[in-house]
Amino acid sequence: MTSADAGGKQLTAKDFSAGEARWCPGCGDHAILNNMRNLMPTLGIPRENFVVISGIGCSSRLPYYLDTYGMHSIHGRAPSIATGVSINRPDLSVWVVTGDGDALSIGGNHLIHALRRNVNLKILLFNNQIYGLTKGQFSPATKPGTITPSSPFGSLDHSFNPLALALGAEASFVARTVDTDRKHMMEILAAAAAHNGSALVEIRQNCPTFNHGERAVTADTSVPTPADGPIRLEAGSPILFGADSQWAVLRDAETGDLKLGRSTEKGVVVHNPRSTSPTYAYALARIADTEPELAPIGVYRAVERPSFDNQYQDRLADARAGGRGDLQDLLTGNDSWTVPARS
Amino acid sequence: MTTELEQPDPRVRRLKGVVIRFAGDSGDGMQLTGDRFGAQAAEAGNDVATLPDFPAEIRAPAGTVGGVSSYQLHVADHDITTPGDQPDVLVAMNPAALKATLKDLRPGGVLIVDSGAFNVRALEKAGYDSDPLTDGSLSNYILHAVDLTGLAVGATEGLGLKRKDAARTKNMFALGLVSWMFNQPIESTVAYLEKRFAKKPPEILAGNLASLRAGVDYGDTTEAFAVSYEVKPAPLPPGTYRHMRGNRAIAFGLVAAAHQAGMPLFLGAYPITPATDVLHELSKLISHDVRSYQAEDEIAAIGAAIGGAFAGMLAVTVTSGPGMALKSEAIGLAISLELPLVIVNVQRGGPSTGLPTKTEQSDLLQSLYGRHGEAPLPVLAAQSPADCFNAAFEAAQIALERRTPVILLSDSYIANGSEPWKVPDVSELPDLGIEFATEPNGVGKDGKPAFHPYKRDPRTLARPLAIPGTPGLEHRIGGLEKADGSGEISHDADNHDLMVRTRQNKVDGIEVPPLEVDDPSGPPGFGSKLLVIGWGSTYGPIGAACRLVRQQGLAIAQAHLRYLNPLPANLASILAAYDTVLVPEMNLGQLGGLLRMHCQIEPVGYTQTRGLPFRAVELAAVFTRLVNDLEDGAAALSTEDIKAIGGTGKVGRSELGSEKNK
Amino acid sequence: MPYVVTSPCIDVKDGACLDECPVDAIYEGARKLYINPNECTECGACASACPIGAIMLDLEVPKPERPFVKTDKEFFSKALPGRDEPLGDPGGAKAAGKIGVDTPFVAEFQAAE
Ligand SMILES: Cc1ncc(C[n+]2csc(CCOP(=O)(O)OP(=O)(O)O)c2C)c(N)n1
Ligand code: SF4
Ligand SMILES: [Mg+2]
Repeated sequence: MTSADAGGKQLTAKDFSAGEARWCPGCGDHAILNNMRNLMPTLGIPRENFVVISGIGCSSRLPYYLDTYGMHSIHGRAPSIATGVSINRPDLSVWVVTGDGDALSIGGNHLIHALRRNVNLKILLFNNQIYGLTKGQFSPATKPGTITPSSPFGSLDHSFNPLALALGAEASFVARTVDTDRKHMMEILAAAAAHNGSALVEIRQNCPTFNHGERAVTADTSVPTPADGPIRLEAGSPILFGADSQWAVLRDAETGDLKLGRSTEKGVVVHNPRSTSPTYAYALARIADTEPELAPIGVYRAVERPSFDNQYQDRLADARAGGRGDLQDLLTGNDSWTVPARS
Repeated sequence: MTTELEQPDPRVRRLKGVVIRFAGDSGDGMQLTGDRFGAQAAEAGNDVATLPDFPAEIRAPAGTVGGVSSYQLHVADHDITTPGDQPDVLVAMNPAALKATLKDLRPGGVLIVDSGAFNVRALEKAGYDSDPLTDGSLSNYILHAVDLTGLAVGATEGLGLKRKDAARTKNMFALGLVSWMFNQPIESTVAYLEKRFAKKPPEILAGNLASLRAGVDYGDTTEAFAVSYEVKPAPLPPGTYRHMRGNRAIAFGLVAAAHQAGMPLFLGAYPITPATDVLHELSKLISHDVRSYQAEDEIAAIGAAIGGAFAGMLAVTVTSGPGMALKSEAIGLAISLELPLVIVNVQRGGPSTGLPTKTEQSDLLQSLYGRHGEAPLPVLAAQSPADCFNAAFEAAQIALERRTPVILLSDSYIANGSEPWKVPDVSELPDLGIEFATEPNGVGKDGKPAFHPYKRDPRTLARPLAIPGTPGLEHRIGGLEKADGSGEISHDADNHDLMVRTRQNKVDGIEVPPLEVDDPSGPPGFGSKLLVIGWGSTYGPIGAACRLVRQQGLAIAQAHLRYLNPLPANLASILAAYDTVLVPEMNLGQLGGLLRMHCQIEPVGYTQTRGLPFRAVELAAVFTRLVNDLEDGAAALSTEDIKAIGGTGKVGRSELGSEKNK
Repeated sequence: MPYVVTSPCIDVKDGACLDECPVDAIYEGARKLYINPNECTECGACASACPIGAIMLDLEVPKPERPFVKTDKEFFSKALPGRDEPLGDPGGAKAAGKIGVDTPFVAEFQAAE
């Protein structure tokens, strides 16, 4: 299904473009914007029903460049504002654009609660593992030991794993994609859009200005290297990777943990994002902790859980089934008395 | 008992008014008892003002002074504005309650105590060395030591109640007794209890009713209570009335505003004393299209409200001081977005956690200035429990009409206090409907029709609102400065200066009703030399004190501010017409400082932050002293003078920014 | 509004842009480099990397160079000389390898003397 304007004309990426993006040349945000402009007209949602709400950061400038309803709000609070829009207006498609600092640091509280409630928001977390807008300080997603202007001797903070965090917050849809893989991102964003409830998509994003994704190259052929990536998750398929599918995600028979190894070994995992227990998705998310360059991309978890919005609207509909309450009756109550006019 | 009038029946004495306080342990049901007594009195046609007082800690140890909960009522046959200064009648359910409240009882007043609760252990917990019921220390009062607990247990015998549950009905026994004393019908309380205990085991209702009736019978048959009292109905203007608490009135005012605007009401809130009851009230009203949402914190609460406003709801957030502090960044966003939003601050003692259950009006300057940048918004204050309805309605009206966040100030005193409220006729409420944009109002850079969110109404400077879902009006708003008109991001210096001034002009341009002065002795400049001006919940005590002053044949003028921003246009000229302007405040002189800044006058402050409202007699003493001094040509009242006449506040120029403190 | 490689690139093919493109959307013909307009994310990294200023946003291409907007498009949408199928959107230049031919327009292009 595609979007059309009032005259029935099919809308295109151009109809969703507003202004010229002002990010640094080479910034991964350009790719995400481009994909959003191309995706939105294909979702079958009228343009006026999209609302995109962001916080503060380089990433959070995105709404200005999309010709939909939008709000560039304050640092970390976009999920709460978007909640106020979404639960009141089930007719709208509400998206949140946030950065790793915006979502995981100052706005961590709002993120987990939006996910826990399963508000019908599509949350795009642009993860460049750095505070871009404030010129490159470490964020909660930065690897420990990273040298930045505010950590000249290396950062001490243990980092958050955004997907593990989202799974811990009971998110019903959790996925990861990367700025450089257009096709993959489009698929993931479309899947997120189709999900009823909160969808958290971590988009690994390059910040050439402050955090150029330098990739470690190793000559050791006994372990998988970043060049063997990315590890793609396909529902129902064994998780294999490498040019000749020589590598796989394996389940350790003893501990039940997931690890990387040769696809010829025992215990190759078949991907199931609909597993009722979040334990599997959590174990999968943890691979990014030990193999940051090989963090699997795809849908980690997609399960059905009643959305806050639906329940909220059902309540309202039930309460109004007998007609809107009479204001005069409410104000007068059943404990009032009358003072008669004096004669 | 204030003044005694003619006495037709020797067993019934007529009173102009009486102040009663029920005090007990927080588990003794004193709030319910007081509430019911007030409702009965109001239904009997009296004017009633109430003041509940809760312990700060929800579970302070039982039987200790810290755990005492009380409820004071002023019942009168005339229009009253305060719950009274000193109780004429005190009901103390245990030694701790007696210890905590006896100092307030008028000498010679009636004291009813539950002698059944005065055992050695309880006396010790309350900190008594000897039993006050027997050691003669209560000889100044008319003491009725009644075994309320024992009588309640006796009354419920045979109903199948456990001893503990039977003892718990002692508050109903006390209510029955006091109802008898003041000749009040208990029927409405019977009906109330039937509803309240409908879902409980039947013996609970039976027990409470039995105790209530036993209390009435006890008064009727006991020699000790030879005389009962009656307060004649107050001459209220004709109409339908209801006993109304401030927090409920705020909820109703907001619902009425949403109704009159034809919009759903959306509340984003996080629980905080003493504002929580507004959340509770609104949460019940789902059938009136009230959508309440309990967020994870105060920031998320206002965030959701901002989202709701953007989506076309009448949006509200309700909180108290600590929550206001958290919301300030988001309030700045709402000012920049120019979205309608009502922010209710039910004030309590601060700073920090401060005195959560006590009253104070110390957030005035925070409301006016507590944000970064030039961030003006309208600020209103409610002056009494029933007035909260109108104040909330007006706050919503301004927010909608001007597309701005509005702060409505209430405080713990009027939030929990109650008085008769004249139920408005809905058909007479004004229409608050606003029109959302449906058509482009400008031309985009590409030459095509576009929506310009900051193209304003030239008269009100309000911007047009286009809600999501409206085809062709897609646009972005945000906290970054926007170009006048088009709403594009703008870093232009002249544009920012223009936008800052425009936002200020928009708020300054709100038409505020002129300030009215109450002075029977003449208009400003021709009557009294002293004007007392206040804002918020001091209205009641100031008004009562002015009446006391006038009863002595002295002239005094009273004015009260509903709008703290913008201030009424005639304010400065009115203030200039008086020799002395006195500003009583439950803070260190915030309004006083504001008047100095805006009106170039030198007001005298009378301030206290004791967690309690001003007492009318105390204010009257201060006012009288000042009026007399002015007549003598020397107005030089000092804090020492105040102490000498029994006052607790501090006098002087407003303590904020005054020369004396430099 | 993709970026476009214009005439100065012909027979120069410096290649600095190839390393900068975050989505690997710049393909190598025989005489010139071509940006896939569907894969380009308009990030501008190539334009700032090009030492001779040959790359610009399509809307900013000056009139005499306008044919290059068309030719960059056609490099992918029409079958190139010697091929049956158009190149399409391969999704990565490295994987696609050197294409080795040009559009007829570029193949015949004569720089103004
Ligand atoms: C309350 C507040 N604190 C701090 C800032 C400064 N600030 C702006 S963006 C930012 C970090 C953004 O990092 P991230 O969310 O990762 O976004 P990125 O720029 O990397 O896309 C900070 C600290 C702010 N705008 N507001
Ligand atoms: S600083 Fe980094 S994240 Fe921000 S625009 Fe530049 S490249 Fe992108
Ligand atoms: Mg970042």
